[in-house]
Amino acid sequence: MLSLRSIEKSYPLAGGQLPVLKGIDLIIEQGEMVAIMGSSGSGKSTLLNVLGLLDNFDAGSYHLDEVDMSELSERQSARYRSRFLGFVFQSFNLIAFKSALENVALPLFYQKIPRRERQKRALAMLERMGIADRAHHLPSELSGGQKQRVAMARALITTPRVILADEPTGALDSVTSNEVMDVLREVNSTGITVIIVTHEADIAARCDRTIRLKDGRIIEDGNSKVVIEPTAHGYTPDAS
Amino acid sequence: MIFSRELWIEIGHTVIANPMRTALTGLSVGLGIFILVVMQGLGFGLQNGVQQDFGDEASNSLWIRTNRTTLPFRGRQANRSIELRNADKEILTEKLFETPLHSARRMLWGSTIQAENEEGRFAVVGVNEDYDQLESIPLVSGRWLHQEDVAQSAKVCVIGQTIVDDLFKKKNPIGEYIRLRNVTFRVIGTFSRSGSRWTNSMALIPITTLQRVFEGADQVGRVIVSTGERSVEEASAMASMADGALRARHAVHPDDQRAVRVEDNNEQFAMYQRIFMGIRLFIWVIGGFTLFAGAIGVANIMSIVVKERTVEIGVRKALGATSGSIVTLIVVEAIALTSISGILGMIAGVLTLEFVAPFAEHDYFSNPAVNLNVTLTALGVLVLSGALSGLAPALRAVRIRPIEALRYE
Ligand SMILES: Nc1ncnc2c1ncn2[C@@H]1O[C@H](COP(=O)(O)OP(=O)(O)OP(=O)(O)O)[C@@H](O)[C@H]1O
Ligand SMILES: [Mg+2]
Repeated sequence: MLSLRSIEKSYPLAGGQLPVLKGIDLIIEQGEMVAIMGSSGSGKSTLLNVLGLLDNFDAGSYHLDEVDMSELSERQSARYRSRFLGFVFQSFNLIAFKSALENVALPLFYQKIPRRERQKRALAMLERMGIADRAHHLPSELSGGQKQRVAMARALITTPRVILADEPTGALDSVTSNEVMDVLREVNSTGITVIIVTHEADIAARCDRTIRLKDGRIIEDGNSKVVIEPTAHGYTPDAS
Repeated sequence: MIFSRELWIEIGHTVIANPMRTALTGLSVGLGIFILVVMQGLGFGLQNGVQQDFGDEASNSLWIRTNRTTLPFRGRQANRSIELRNADKEILTEKLFETPLHSARRMLWGSTIQAENEEGRFAVVGVNEDYDQLESIPLVSGRWLHQEDVAQSAKVCVIGQTIVDDLFKKKNPIGEYIRLRNVTFRVIGTFSRSGSRWTNSMALIPITTLQRVFEGADQVGRVIVSTGERSVEEASAMASMADGALRARHAVHPDDQRAVRVEDNNEQFAMYQRIFMGIRLFIWVIGGFTLFAGAIGVANIMSIVVKERTVEIGVRKALGATSGSIVTLIVVEAIALTSISGILGMIAGVLTLEFVAPFAEHDYFSNPAVNLNVTLTALGVLVLSGALSGLAPALRAVRIRPIEALRYE
C-alpha cells in the first residue's frame, strides 16, 4: 500500500521557489491499476518520481507498506527501488550499449543474482513479452514498441510490487500503445500495482482508477469511467 | 566488490561495448607511457654512450703530454720538440708528488704483428704495470703486466680482443708466441673493452721493453698519474705543479698551450657530470610534461565519459544500484583501462627500444635501457589520475537525485 499525506514539493527557481505539488493526499492499495492525468506541467511526473523514490519531497509523509520513506538512507532507497519498484519511461531509457537481454538482466545484477540465472530469467521475461528473438539486439536495432517491451521486461524481472510508468505510450502509435496496455493489464492481473501517467483518455480508460491533477493538487479521483467522461466532452476545472 | 567476478564482467562489457571511449583513454595513457619509455631509453642511451666514451680513463687521473713549442722562450726558437723521458717521469712521480698509480704510455702505430699464420697492423703500446687500472681496462684471460715484467724488460704482451680475433681466431692465445715488429713476445693476457675497437687493437708491452728493444732511447710518450684520494681542488693544484715543473725543466713559455699539456680528468669528469645532469634533467622535464599531458588527457576523457554516462547512472539507480556500486564501477573501470593501456604502452616502448638499439649504436649512443622504476612510477601516476578523474565526476553524478541524472542532457 502506498500512502501519501500532504506531500509538498517545489523546485528552486531563479528568484524563488516553484511549488509543483501542493499537498497531495493519496492512498493506492496493492493491486490497483491507476492512471494519473492532468494538463502539462500539473505535476504528474513529479508525483510519480516521488512515488518511485527517484525524487525527494519537501513536506508531508510517504509510507510504503507502513514504512516511512522520508527516513530512508540513500542505500535503503536503492534497496526499495531494487526490490519493490519497477520503472517504465516514455523514452525507454535502455542502456544503449547493452543488448536487450543484458538490459533486462541488469536489475538482477543489483540483487546480486548470478549471471547465468540472470540471463535465464531475462530470456524468459523477453519470451513473455514476445520478443525473445530480439534478445541479442542493441536498443538501436529495435522499434519503439519493441524497446518499450524490453523496458517493461526490465521493470518486471524483479517481480516488483509496483510498476511506475511515465507516459509509457507517449512515443508509440495507437496500435503499439494498446499492446503495451495489454501487457500492463496482464501484469496488473498478477497483483502488481500499476501506476501510469498519461495524457491519453483511452489509456486512462483502460485503468480502473483515474486521478486528475491540476496545478499540483488532486482535483478528481475515482473510477476511470466516471472521471474521464468530462475530459472527453470538455471538462471544466471547477467541477469537482 | 572490487574483486567480484560479476563486476569485472560488467566492466569488461562496458569497455568492449564502447570502443571509441576505450580507444581514446587507452591511447592517451598508452601513448604517454610509450613516449616516456622511449625518451627515457634514448636519454639513457645517450648518457651511456658519452659515459662509455669517457670511461676509457679513470676519472681521478692527470694526463701529461708534450709537443712542439709554439712560442719562443728564453732565447730558444719556437717549434722545438719537447719529449718526456724517464727522468721527467721520475721527477713527477717520485719527487714532485705522491701518487698511488702511474704509467708511461708510448704508442708505436702501424706495427706489424704476426701469429702463426696470420698477421696484421696494430698499435704496440709501452706502459707500466699500473696502466690497466688508470685506464680501467677489463682483463679477459691470463694476467696483466707485473712490476717484474717492467723491471726486467720482459718480452711479454697483453693483447686486445681485436688482435685475438684477427690473429688467433678461436684458438687460446695465452702462452703463445707472437712477433711484434719482428721481435718475439709471449702473450700473457688478453683484454676487451666493449664497443672500443680502438682500444682493442692494442698490444700492451712493458715501457722498458719498448724503449730497449724498439727505440734504444728513453722517451715515455705520455705520463698518466693518479690523483688518488685528492679532492678536485687538490688534484687541480697537483696538475699545475706538474705543469710548472715541466715548463721549468724544458724552458717552455708559460702561455705555450701545446708544448706542455696537463689534462685533469677530475675536472673533465666534473664537466661530464654536469652534462649528464643536464641530460637527466632534460629527460625528467620531457617525461614530466608527457606525463602531465597524459594525466590531463585522461582526466578530460573521464569527465566527458562520466557526463555521457549520467543518464545511464540515473537508469542504474532506478534499477536499484547503490551510489557505491556505481562509483566502484566507474573507478575500477578507469583503473583497469589506464593500467592495461599503460602496460601495453610500456611494452610497445620497450620493444621499440629493443628494435631500435642495434641500429642506433654510435660513439655517443649505446645500450638504451629502460628505467623500470621511473616507468612504473609514471604508470602509477597515470592510473591514479585516471582513478581520481573518474572518481570526482562519478561522485558528483551519484550525489544528485536519480531523476536529475535521468533527465540530464
Ligand atoms: N528539475 C526541475 N526544475 C525546475 N522545475 C521543474 C523541474 N522539473 C519539473 N519542473 C516544473 O515543475 C512543473 C511540473 O512538472 P512535471 O514534470 O511534474 O509536469 P507534468 O505534469 O509531468 O507535465 P507533462 O505532462 O508535460 O510531462 C512544471 O512547471 C515544470 O516546469
Ligand atoms: Mg511528465
